[in-house]
Amino acid sequence: MVLLKLCWLLIVINALTIGGGFVMLPMLQKEFVEKYHWLTNQEFLDAIAIGQLTPGPLTVMNAVIGYKISGLIGAVLAMVSSYLPCIIIVTIVAKYYYEYKESIIVQSSFKGIKPAVIGLLSAVAISLGNTALVDPLTFGIAIISFAVIAFTKTDPSFVIVGAGILGAVLL
Amino acid sequence: MKEDNITVKDIFWKFLKIGSFSFGGVYSMLAFFERELVEKGKWLTHEEFVESVAIGQMTPGPPIVNTGICIGYKLKKIKGALATTAGQSFTGTMLAILLAVFYVKSKGNVLLTSVMKGVGAAVVGLLLSIIFKMSRNTIKDLKAALFASVAFFALALFKLNPIGLILASGIIGLLVYGRRT
Repeated sequence: MVLLKLCWLLIVINALTIGGGFVMLPMLQKEFVEKYHWLTNQEFLDAIAIGQLTPGPLTVMNAVIGYKISGLIGAVLAMVSSYLPCIIIVTIVAKYYYEYKESIIVQSSFKGIKPAVIGLLSAVAISLGNTALVDPLTFGIAIISFAVIAFTKTDPSFVIVGAGILGAVLL
Repeated sequence: MKEDNITVKDIFWKFLKIGSFSFGGVYSMLAFFERELVEKGKWLTHEEFVESVAIGQMTPGPPIVNTGICIGYKLKKIKGALATTAGQSFTGTMLAILLAVFYVKSKGNVLLTSVMKGVGAAVVGLLLSIIFKMSRNTIKDLKAALFASVAFFALALFKLNPIGLILASGIIGLLVYGRRT
């Protein structure tokens, strides 16, 4: 039952991930952390970090979540469920590209979703900040990470590794 | 396009290579795609590649994976789409599972806890920088700012469900921007 629920939620969430991989975070956090308590906020943060460290899109964090919830089968099923909607939607769009591109329905609904998602992500950032930023040091690491990623072309993976080393030495 | 010479296996290996070395941002990855598929492999024309990137960006899911799915579909229909997805996600998924096994096994370890404390703080910083960059590209007028702030309060204060909020903002977007006379 848990596996079925996991798959169904990931299918729905990935079908609504419009505008980049981070868009799934508010939905994942609400369902997996707050509603079903399959993960703590800290574990959710750690899953994001692992997803960011590994090659490929952030979506691989769903394998970590799946593993945490029900082991290897959970991890594999999580990835299949995450990519299933992509495969279905993209192949349909590839076929009807011009109709899709010109579609007012698609354009105008995306125009509403894209800014809304920024609001949702900001709420998630506050909630995760409450968990992760507990002292001046963690605050400092967050501010430096923000500045480095926002204003230089540094790969976020390096920043995360660097923060991990800092954590090991200082925290 | 020399479609006939390309097998599903070729597609899988090519995307396994792309997926395994795809650190870094979207743009460096797209350059890697173009070099491997258009310049070296001659699997696609430049125009087909650009169209695939566009489709990748306007469909739900990670844009890079979706670009790959689209290219696979163009080359070998659904089999090609499956081959690109599997190839592209294989290395990342395996590594993520390995890290997850390690992470679950060493839970409670003092050193890992300190490492993850630093990492968690960096993830918050990363998230803020993503929000910052997305806002710069998306929030250009009052209407967009309104969508963003209503969604923020709906989640942060009223704890509404984000799945419902995304669906609702799509419908409201349709109502607000969809009227074309």
